[in-house]
Amino acid sequence: MSASFIHRSILTVGFLSLFHAAYSAAQHRSYLRLNELDFSHLPLDIFIQALVSLFIIMYGVLQVVGDFKEIKASAELENKSWETFRNIPSFYIFCHRGGKSSIQSTKSSLEEIE
Amino acid sequence: MTADLIVDPQIRFWVFLPIVIITFLVGILRHYISILLSSQKKVEIQQLADSQLILRARALRENCGYIPKNSFLIRRQAFNKEDGYLMQKRPPVTQNMMTDPSMMTDMLKGNLTNVLPMIIIGGWINWMFSGFITTKVPFPLTLRFKSMLQRGIELSHLDASWVSSASWYFLNVFGLRSIYALVLGENNAADQSRQMQEQMQMTGAASGMPADPKIPFKAEWEALEIIEHQWKLGDVEKELLQE
Amino acid sequence: MSTKAKNEPAVAYSELAIRNNLSIVEYCRTSVAAVSGCTAGVLGLTGLYGALFFIVAVTGFWLMLLFKAGIDSWRKFFISRKSLLINGIFGHFFTYILCWTFIYGMVHVY
Repeated sequence: MSASFIHRSILTVGFLSLFHAAYSAAQHRSYLRLNELDFSHLPLDIFIQALVSLFIIMYGVLQVVGDFKEIKASAELENKSWETFRNIPSFYIFCHRGGKSSIQSTKSSLEEIE
Repeated sequence: MTADLIVDPQIRFWVFLPIVIITFLVGILRHYISILLSSQKKVEIQQLADSQLILRARALRENCGYIPKNSFLIRRQAFNKEDGYLMQKRPPVTQNMMTDPSMMTDMLKGNLTNVLPMIIIGGWINWMFSGFITTKVPFPLTLRFKSMLQRGIELSHLDASWVSSASWYFLNVFGLRSIYALVLGENNAADQSRQMQEQMQMTGAASGMPADPKIPFKAEWEALEIIEHQWKLGDVEKELLQE
Repeated sequence: MSTKAKNEPAVAYSELAIRNNLSIVEYCRTSVAAVSGCTAGVLGLTGLYGALFFIVAVTGFWLMLLFKAGIDSWRKFFISRKSLLINGIFGHFFTYILCWTFIYGMVHVY
């Protein structure tokens, strides 16, 4: 929870920073236009800010989406016990003599089976 | 590139941005509307049974090496004898798309959510924001793109990398697809092309598969007849002991 | 859960997990294409520099992805490294171009 919150805030900071860089770049452009200067390149600080925020966002996205699962089929099975495999719902038997005697016993026998 | 054009900054906030926002929101709206309108396909029990039958026959055909020859012959007999499963007669179902009301409503809904908003919004944007130069693509383009990118403004000396408002709308319609995938999750309805494809598949499946089960039955019957039983587990003891 | 058997060392892969991983990667790559498009627009790149920037960004993201999966242990999560880099790159390039054009128009044209 807290880790994902941190990553989310990293992502947010990245987006805000990128937005700020974009806004500064637009301001710079309008300043150049008002002073009738030619545009050659962006100021270095905006340039670096944009690049850094790109990397922050990439990192944030990578952390936010979650972890990968192992693709080996056996990896999933390793944590399961033998009882889980032996439990085959198709072979449950409900129609046996216990059901005739009482409802209570049916319930208990169901629990036994499970 | 020739001398730069100076574009009025007001265009940015009153034409350029609204087109993007409108296109995006219409896509989202379409997603939710099509969720509202979507109806579950009803499957008839006979069709389902037929398709399962074919699956069973195919499973037998593919895995026949793992059962003894006798068992295989028995199973094949059950499928292929005179009144076996694959020789059953089915009443020819002539499912006409036009007479089936559910099919009609489905198509209507598809049109309602796909084509109609595109035409209406496109027309509206063409009318409302007509004749603006909205933006410039940041890479040089050849003159061939001019008719594509500058719909609505006929200026022969304008550089090809300027984009008119109508063309910007269409660029957005086609380009925002992956952004929808980002926002709405993978199988969203805002994605037009996928939906079209789905419709095609639906109609293909609906007209081909259940209309006449005889043809796949016949093919499966033939395949089962031809296949030769080869016992694959002959040296299974040796292999097991080796490990 | 269905499994898919490979010929040589008889490793079974869980298709569900593969699909899950690929959808995660796809999501990341789409967002990286969009965000790098935005950055290219902010930087005001034009022409070939933009395409170059896209390649650099995607490659950088790919390295980060491998780093996250573990440099030695990426085999646990993906079948092929190259397909992570190459698959669907043109679709992503289209997204990139749209974002690039959009932000470039917002920042530099007016």
